[in-house]
Amino acid sequence: MASFSTNEFKSGLKVLIDGDPCTIVENEFVKPGKGQAFNRVKIKNLKTGRVVEKTFKSGDSVEAADVIDLDMEFLYADGEFYHFMMTDGSFEQHAADAKAVGDASKWLKEQETYIITLFNGAPLAVTPPNHIELEVVETDPGLKGDTAQGGSKPATLSTGAVVNVPLFIEIGEVLRVDTRTGDYVSRATKK
Amino acid sequence: MMGRPTATKTILEARASLLSGLRSFFEARQSLEVDVPAIAKAPASDPWLDSFTVSDPAGFHVGYLLTSPETYLKRLLSEYQCPIHAIGKAYRANEEGSEHAIEFTMLEWYRPTSIRPFQAMVSEIQDLIETLTECGRPEVIAYKDVFEATYGLNPHQATVDDLVGFGSDLLGAKAASSLDLDSLLNVLFATEIEPHLTNHIVIDFPAIQSALARADLDGADRVAKRAELYISGSEIANGYHELTDAVEQAARFDEDNRRRESLLRPVVPRDDALIDALTSGLPDSYGVALGVDRLLKVVTQSKTLSECMTFTGHL
Repeated sequence: MASFSTNEFKSGLKVLIDGDPCTIVENEFVKPGKGQAFNRVKIKNLKTGRVVEKTFKSGDSVEAADVIDLDMEFLYADGEFYHFMMTDGSFEQHAADAKAVGDASKWLKEQETYIITLFNGAPLAVTPPNHIELEVVETDPGLKGDTAQGGSKPATLSTGAVVNVPLFIEIGEVLRVDTRTGDYVSRATKK
Repeated sequence: MMGRPTATKTILEARASLLSGLRSFFEARQSLEVDVPAIAKAPASDPWLDSFTVSDPAGFHVGYLLTSPETYLKRLLSEYQCPIHAIGKAYRANEEGSEHAIEFTMLEWYRPTSIRPFQAMVSEIQDLIETLTECGRPEVIAYKDVFEATYGLNPHQATVDDLVGFGSDLLGAKAASSLDLDSLLNVLFATEIEPHLTNHIVIDFPAIQSALARADLDGADRVAKRAELYISGSEIANGYHELTDAVEQAARFDEDNRRRESLLRPVVPRDDALIDALTSGLPDSYGVALGVDRLLKVVTQSKTLSECMTFTGHL
């Protein structure tokens, strides 16, 4: 199994800590003038999303985690698994469970491309594109004459996500939404 | 374009002005500036200092690039018995990071004095910081007091068993159990105490960390007469009430090599020229080494050390 020495540590490096895949967020070399050197490292556990601080003796090695990010298209959900297909022309499919999909489930749209993080070949996490276009399936009718005031109302999108939208938005419109914040960005140009 | 300087013109001007400020400070105190070699036959023996080796084009070993000018300055001090200082490059292999560079600028000074040398050293460091920075006069605190405040233990009496639990919290049990007392004290101090030292001189280190300093009795505790200056969480200077006992010094060199052996680190030739200088007579004196680049970072209120280095990433 490949491993990394502390002097190869840099942010983004994927390592195995206590069996869990982690990514290095920050690496700091600590050395008193006359003493032994250490690395203070901020590590994000890719399974739990938690960030912890760990200290290593400089020169020690940590096992590499077999973690890779791949572009895949969402195909369908069968109630238990979410199915994705590689976009590299191989048609290779991967099934992610609800835990791996996590919050991304409310942004899953067929034929859209997602980043699937594989750990030992199995989906570990699903990252939606930063912006996604979705249709409004439910919202209160627009209140005429109140557009100048700004104001907002909830709207349910085709994936089930609920976002706050301006009052003039109507059912059937396609919206551009920021998946990182869940915020309405704009109306999408009709296709 | 590759290989452009890292430092801005403003930083270069601040560096030039800091260097001339340091020189005026020592000139006013009747210290003689000396220019010493960077290569020596024997490197520093400290187990955790890695020196670059120097070879000629045929591959024959010439010597070591010095991690500090200490050996040459002490030989000068023994010969001429007057205050001296040197500003030059020092080299430390395997030290690279946000606060470290393998080649850096070091100021080192020695002053012979028999009147309360340790107190004189601490107040001279305070004077220097007060004169050359806007940080004000550093506050003096005892190693024991800061350590006790953080860990609830007297560091001078603590054993490996007392400290290994704290080490485990940081490193995990397996890595912590491989550390000796010196390394445990170092990692505990560096991670939980150092970051909180804003403008402080820590005095009276554990005797095990004496290196080339005297170790004295302070009540029931044996302490190293060492003083370290920290500003904004980083170590800026390190001073010793110098050991002048040649026999004790030779014993410490041999002990360092034994520790190197047990740590599977390269054994180094003993600095016999320094032992000779001590034998012929080193005056009662103190010596301080100061990282000029780190002081420049403080003076210019820069975020990183690398923006204060004239060139970085050039190798």
